[in-house]
Amino acid sequence: MDVIVCVKKVPDTAEADVSVGAGGREINKERLTFAINEWDNYAVEEAIRLKEEDEGTVTVVTVGGKDKEDILRRSLAMGADKAIRLDMEDPEDSFVLANVLYTLIKDQKFDLVLFGAQSGDFNSGVTGVMVARMLGISHAAMVNGIEVLDGRTKTSRELEGGLNEIYEIKLPALFTIQTGINEPRYVSISGIRKARKKELKVMTPADVGVTEVKPMLSLEKMYLPPPGKIAEIIGGSPEEAAAKLASLLKEKGAF
Amino acid sequence: MMEVEEGNFDEAYDVYACMQCGKCTGSCAVSLRSDLNIRELMRIAILNENGELEKHEEIWDCTSCGICTVRCPRDLKPAEVIVGMRSSLVEGGTIPITVRDALESVGTNNNPWGRPKSKRAEWLEDLDVKVKNISEGEDAEYLLYIGCTASYDPRIQSVSRAAINVLTKLGVDFGILGEEEPCCGSEPRMMGETGLFEMLVEDNLNLFDEFSISKIITLSPHAYNTFVNDYPECAKRLKEDDAEIPDIELEVKHYTQILEELIDDGRLDGEMMNEFSETVIYHDPCYLGKRNNIFEPPRKILNIIPGARCIEFDRREDRSLCCEGGGGRMWAEGTGTGERNSIIRVNDANRDEATVIAVACPFCLSTLEDARATAGYEETMRVMDIFEILDEVLK
Amino acid sequence: MTVYVLAEHRRGELMDVTFESISAARRLNDEVVAILLGKDLGDHAEKVAKYADKVLVVEDERIENNTEAYTQVIGELIKKDKPKVFLMGNTSMGMDIAPALAIDLDSPIATDVVGISEEGGRIKVMRSVYNGKVLSDLVLGEAETSVIAIRSGEFSAADLEEKNGEITKVDSPLKEAIENKKFLEFVEPVAGAVDITQADVLISVGRGIKDKDNLPMAEELADAVGGVVSCSRPVVDYDWLPKDRQVGTSGKTVKPKFYLAFGISGAFQHVAGMKGATMIVAINKDIKAPIFSVAQYGIVDDLLKVMPALTEKIKELKS
Ligand SMILES: Cc1cc2nc3c(=O)[nH]c(=O)nc-3n(C[C@@H](O)[C@H](O)[C@H](O)COP(=O)(O)OP(=O)(O)OC[C@H]3O[C@@H](n4cnc5c(N)ncnc54)[C@H](O)[C@@H]3O)c2cc1C
Ligand SMILES: Cc1cc2nc3c(=O)[nH]c(=O)nc-3n(C[C@H](O)[C@H](O)[C@H](O)COP(=O)(O)OP(=O)(O)OC[C@H]3O[C@@H](n4cnc5c(N)ncnc54)[C@H](O)[C@@H]3O)c2cc1C
Ligand code: SF4
Ligand code: SF4
Repeated sequence: MDVIVCVKKVPDTAEADVSVGAGGREINKERLTFAINEWDNYAVEEAIRLKEEDEGTVTVVTVGGKDKEDILRRSLAMGADKAIRLDMEDPEDSFVLANVLYTLIKDQKFDLVLFGAQSGDFNSGVTGVMVARMLGISHAAMVNGIEVLDGRTKTSRELEGGLNEIYEIKLPALFTIQTGINEPRYVSISGIRKARKKELKVMTPADVGVTEVKPMLSLEKMYLPPPGKIAEIIGGSPEEAAAKLASLLKEKGAF
Repeated sequence: MMEVEEGNFDEAYDVYACMQCGKCTGSCAVSLRSDLNIRELMRIAILNENGELEKHEEIWDCTSCGICTVRCPRDLKPAEVIVGMRSSLVEGGTIPITVRDALESVGTNNNPWGRPKSKRAEWLEDLDVKVKNISEGEDAEYLLYIGCTASYDPRIQSVSRAAINVLTKLGVDFGILGEEEPCCGSEPRMMGETGLFEMLVEDNLNLFDEFSISKIITLSPHAYNTFVNDYPECAKRLKEDDAEIPDIELEVKHYTQILEELIDDGRLDGEMMNEFSETVIYHDPCYLGKRNNIFEPPRKILNIIPGARCIEFDRREDRSLCCEGGGGRMWAEGTGTGERNSIIRVNDANRDEATVIAVACPFCLSTLEDARATAGYEETMRVMDIFEILDEVLK
Repeated sequence: MTVYVLAEHRRGELMDVTFESISAARRLNDEVVAILLGKDLGDHAEKVAKYADKVLVVEDERIENNTEAYTQVIGELIKKDKPKVFLMGNTSMGMDIAPALAIDLDSPIATDVVGISEEGGRIKVMRSVYNGKVLSDLVLGEAETSVIAIRSGEFSAADLEEKNGEITKVDSPLKEAIENKKFLEFVEPVAGAVDITQADVLISVGRGIKDKDNLPMAEELADAVGGVVSCSRPVVDYDWLPKDRQVGTSGKTVKPKFYLAFGISGAFQHVAGMKGATMIVAINKDIKAPIFSVAQYGIVDDLLKVMPALTEKIKELKS
């Protein structure tokens, strides 16, 4: 089984203070830390597991500048065999990105292409399925289980309410991976160092023959949401706060 | 510290000299409440059965207290063998999730707590005194190295603030690195992430060099230990591998040593303090005591505090009971069942009628503070870092 | 001009997001046409027609539970009528269908949309990005039809105007059954003894609980207050609690009288599953956690300290 995985480097904004830069087109990124998109990490792990079960290769692909290479090295250290960075500025929208990835992937050898179900920064959740459509292969989004059969897979998609639905899908196919499908392994620093020997290919849009397409979405502005209705904060030491909350719960009839 | 390539425990740790006497297990901090049997792990190392290590979940129970190493009649380093075993698990990628997340966080956030780097200096916000920030170009004789836990854990942040207040009052010329302060690497190293530790040593020595830092005061004995005992050896090895390591000699002191010097110089004495009418029992941190034989300085400080009645645990100094906070145990609860050492410790303190357990380590503060609450001594006992005590009593 | 809206249903149940989609479509001041596909549609058409101007029904067994067949059929319907916008929920089904449709139709697409308007003939959407910390306004490019997937729970269906639209049956445009992607079955999560959807009080724990070994603490609190322990998804991912305890879009939607969120940041997928609770209390050490903007009460502190203290106080008050 030859698997291609598309990965993105995203900022960690879960706890950090986020501000919007002048012009309202970008957030200030100087003080943020970056890592591989959480969903993509699960996708890389899944690809490697599929390879380990059977055989074949895992190729990781990212679109972006040189600063994005660390997530490729990390994926190589995890067990991917090959990495490709398509050297270009961040694409303007998912359609442009999908077009670029499609052009790159169509000439590669693959049975399966994996994407993250969405990215942690823009959470569009569209790029993978778009690429599948451009490639003309079957797809499934929000995949939380893959069983490889002969030339087909049994694929589980996560639905609302904790329900899953199982599809039988003919290969080649493209899946977007939901978190929780596996338990991604730890990648050690010396593992990353050793993986420097593995192939990391840098290609330009011209190398792969990307034709220019126009973006379909344009960003008007980014801004911070108005400070929401903030909860009434119960103060004091943990014990005092707990005592006040306990009385409140009793008053409202919780027990 | 040695790097263990697969299958060479024997060479790296000289394990063939082990006579399987079991003194290590006999002294082990956790063998009573966990499956960890260090003598047995030594046997595995001798037989090079390290392919099976994944089955030994208890490898993560070791607190790295180091008492087994102290006790070994053959001068072996069983505590280091555990680090080596963890290292091979880390390289294999299959480690407890909580350990994985802590290590990944060191890689991305430069702290194992999963907190953003940009919030490392938030604890400074409630402070009245002005602190020099060396990373902003201010000069100071000493770097006060705060450490990850004292930077992020709300309870331990109070020690950082107390340290600033006390050192400022005593006229020590010091500065901090604020948001630029890195992880010292002690915990990653003990969790077996050798490569990450080496990277931190290289980065940190270069950082110290960049800001002309040569004298360091640490809050944590773990940072102290790693700067003093692990950095020089690691730097030497890295240099041999052609890494760019600056030639700096670090003069590192745990803060209790600096305070001891101030006492000896007559710059700190009981006259400067208010009464502290408490019965104080001092808990020796493994990384200060067993691993570095620093027993006197903390006691000396406590002894000059007017009104304080200083008492001792039965198990003290190199026999002190480990609080189970080290060796990555902050991120791996372990297989142990039964009473935690920290609970035993607060119970002992209570039996001895102590009203304050004095500590000199952020992990001890965490574990004992938790145990104090668990054991129900909130009304009768406080767990305080020595800096916090001084902050309270200094006029 | 018209806006097409997909009526989403599964296993005989019409999903709420259908009406939310109609509500979102109403912001565009156009005729709203709902499309309903599949088999055994029961009275879905009537229910949807109540609020839509028109309902198109395609009854075809081959479409039921097959997202690829859905995509093809919706595509055909759109090609015929050329609605200005096709709108559906950004559900699991939406994530499978909408992007494919956008490529098939050469349409711009905006997903996970929380606001929608029309300005000078262009569709403008609001999206929430960077963990909900930033909002962005995007304008969709010019096209015959635009594809929009809305975030569940953002467009209230409470005040929908009754329309009692006409129901029209349409022949299935599906040429052949989908062979490359066959639906096999639904799989239920392994059911435990506890049903979090039935509880009046939920003690919900998130990643902030830090360790599996801290869960007994939550169970104790739940016992004291007569509630049940639920959780956010990471807790399930980590295998600390079974899947059926998970609250949120990919877990369960709960409407308890009391929802106590311990160490839950308040990601929208989670909030979507619990914001219907009567009283929400957040215990989180980060005052900036988004959970505080849906909670009525909050404690900013270490949950590992607050939780046991609360258990004690409740026990005291009970006795
Ligand atoms: C004005 C404007 C400014 C923007 N600025 C930025 C910006 O600064 N940075 C930015 O990242 N986006 C920016 N975008 C958005 C756009 O470029 C998205 O990153 C892109 O559309 C992908 O969407 P998504 O990240 O939501 O991916 P989704 O549709 O959510 O898909 C995610 C999956 O796609 C794959 N994927 C995503 N990105 C890549 C990549 N680069 N290489 C390989 N695989 C990938 C991964 O598998 C990932 O899991 C901007 C958009 C506009 C209109
Ligand atoms: C399609 C899709 C479906 C999803 N479905 C769901 C779903 O159904 N349910 C769901 O929950 N998630 C779901 N998610 C995931 C969701 O996006 C978030 O990642 C998740 O809800 C975060 O969980 P959390 O709040 O527990 O963790 P985090 O976001 O990591 O938050 C942990 C919080 O705990 C706080 N904290 C840490 N330590 C302490 C302490 N000692 N004391 C007090 N507070 C502390 C932190 O400040 C933080 O706010 C879904 C995602 C996708 C893409
Ligand atoms: S104390 Fe030393 S010699 Fe004895 S069993 Fe332990 S490691 Fe071996
Ligand atoms: S270091 Fe301490 S806990 Fe670890 S094996 Fe040795 S004695 Fe036991």
